[in-house]
Amino acid sequence: MLSAAPVSLADVLARPDVWRANGLASAAIPTLGSGFAALDDELPGGGWPRGTLTEILSDQAGVGECSLLMPALAQLADQGKFSLLVAPPQALNAPAWASSGIDLARLIVVSPSRASESLWAAEQALASGALGGVLCWTTRIDARQVRRLEVAAGNGETLAFVFRPARARAESSPCALRLLLSAGARGTLAIDLLKRRGPPCARTLNLAVARPVEWREDHAPQSALARGQFPAPAARSQRPAVLA
Amino acid sequence: MVEDGRVVLADALARAAGIDRGTGVAAARMLAPAITLLARSRSREAAALQTLAGWAGRFTSRVSVTPDALLLEVGSCLRLFGGLDKVANAVGEGVQAQGFTAALAAAPTPLGAQWLAQAGTAARCSDGVDLRRQLDALPLDVLPERIATVLHGFGASTLADVRRLPGAELARRIGVGCRQLMAKAFGELPDPRADFVFPDRFALAIELPSSVENAVALLFAARRLSFALSGWLAARQSGVREFSLHLLQRQNETRLLLQFSAPTADQRRFERVLRERLERTTLAAPVDSLRLEATQLTALPGRSQTLFNDSNDDREAIGVLLERLAARLGEAQVYRVAVHDDHRPECATRQLALSAAVTPAARSTLPRPLWLVAAPQQLAEIDGRPCRRGPLRLLAGPERIESGWWDEGEANGDIRRDYFIALASDGCWLWIYRDARLPGGWFLHGYFA
Repeated sequence: MLSAAPVSLADVLARPDVWRANGLASAAIPTLGSGFAALDDELPGGGWPRGTLTEILSDQAGVGECSLLMPALAQLADQGKFSLLVAPPQALNAPAWASSGIDLARLIVVSPSRASESLWAAEQALASGALGGVLCWTTRIDARQVRRLEVAAGNGETLAFVFRPARARAESSPCALRLLLSAGARGTLAIDLLKRRGPPCARTLNLAVARPVEWREDHAPQSALARGQFPAPAARSQRPAVLA
Repeated sequence: MVEDGRVVLADALARAAGIDRGTGVAAARMLAPAITLLARSRSREAAALQTLAGWAGRFTSRVSVTPDALLLEVGSCLRLFGGLDKVANAVGEGVQAQGFTAALAAAPTPLGAQWLAQAGTAARCSDGVDLRRQLDALPLDVLPERIATVLHGFGASTLADVRRLPGAELARRIGVGCRQLMAKAFGELPDPRADFVFPDRFALAIELPSSVENAVALLFAARRLSFALSGWLAARQSGVREFSLHLLQRQNETRLLLQFSAPTADQRRFERVLRERLERTTLAAPVDSLRLEATQLTALPGRSQTLFNDSNDDREAIGVLLERLAARLGEAQVYRVAVHDDHRPECATRQLALSAAVTPAARSTLPRPLWLVAAPQQLAEIDGRPCRRGPLRLLAGPERIESGWWDEGEANGDIRRDYFIALASDGCWLWIYRDARLPGGWFLHGYFA
């Protein structure tokens, strides 16, 4: 927490390069390194907070939302902790999870048929406090339900994430940490820290999350088939100016 | 409670009306016209005692059943439970939790304990002196009725009076039976009891007092069975991974299979799973009786608190959690995944039950997406280019995946596809393929999430 030196912090806030070095490092909450130095620098306590719910807002599947959490999940598995995926949006492709460093023996999936049951399952899982990580995907969840999950997460030191659609950024949330994901330039994942304990983070982080192919400037279609069919590669996608 | 035209048990209200043990049915009706008379069922009493005997195995391995009482040898396990009062309280609470009321008494001799319990003294004697003092004060009711009547005729009203009567004379008049009973109760004669034989496989049924139409209402009865199961398991130091609850209806029978992530003998775990399961069960017809069966036992390692570290506690808590989830959401909704050795993407993932072992997978270097679309989605095509909210850029590929002609009959069957890693204009990394078979076309098959 940043409340250690609130007065001096207020002055320091004007200079982001200063509080990053001192203010955030003094956090007392238990955390787990995210595996991305640039992100850890901006997170209070230097990593993902444990025992509290973190909101991840993202609309597009495939933007890198799971790759962002993969280093943390792999760490948990290495420590012998179990992780639970509640209501994943698609079927898990086991070979890909295994090659991302996840021990499949320590990964449990719950796919309830109704949304209310997913929330129930996530709440139970968080309340047990016995799991290393809980990831819950939701489409429709109101502030009261988020609050319930947040309270349940307080029962242990579980790494707790809830995925919500990006339109939820307009709603208020009891979560202490909220991230908005979008595609960044040059194959990166762009992260806006909408909310965190401490000073607001104005800049967008671009993280080099794991991608299936390495990004190259001259990224052009390579196959004969594609060359024949596509006269010119499409313009490289820029990060959308408006996040929706 | 009535047997052979006479009251054998009366509640407080009836006793206030002057009805007590031995009152005739006609007299009872006259004394209290609104009285409810229930016929005593010896067979159900015996069944209840058997249930309790099975459950009592959690306290001691030496249990003995008499027609009227259940005897537990607890002398050898007092230290384990932390004293006589603690054992007695635990037994009392356990019996109550199963919906029975019990008159408890503890004494150094089995017959002494039985008599003290029958007289409702709730005595807890730990030595011979205490036992004699308590027994001396007992009324003659505890003795067989024939003997008690004769002794009443001699002017005796308590066991102390009987002991003062000259022994030889007494034996001559009413036989040696009375003296032998007294000697056994006071610990002057050995009183060996046959041990209750715990059944090899657990199968216990209870008949419901009336038909039940609501599954949740069955929980009360099912709990009793789970209590007995847990005691029976404790006596054998074993646990079960699953047991089945049979709901017997007039016409047919519903069988519920309840599974656990690890072998367990924990009654609370049984109860939780029973509750979750019964809550989502709808009954087609009223249920008349329940039967609980457990066949496959697994020996549980003896537990010792200090040897267990946190991670094992966690593991147990996870087991409990997963059971709850599976019981409420269904077994198929809670699972793990494992890599299956098949290069068709649809077949490379297997869903495994929680109890199945996951073997470590060899890491593959091929790029594979974390999410797989269950049924590949056909993509729009503009000038032969795949599109999804704008044209897709192909970053890598093709990777030809071709196989499976041998199980053509199956849904996944024969495939011949060229896979590409594609970047959409909204920045999503997709796994798409072009079907190399006619009629061709582009499909979205996964997300590099």
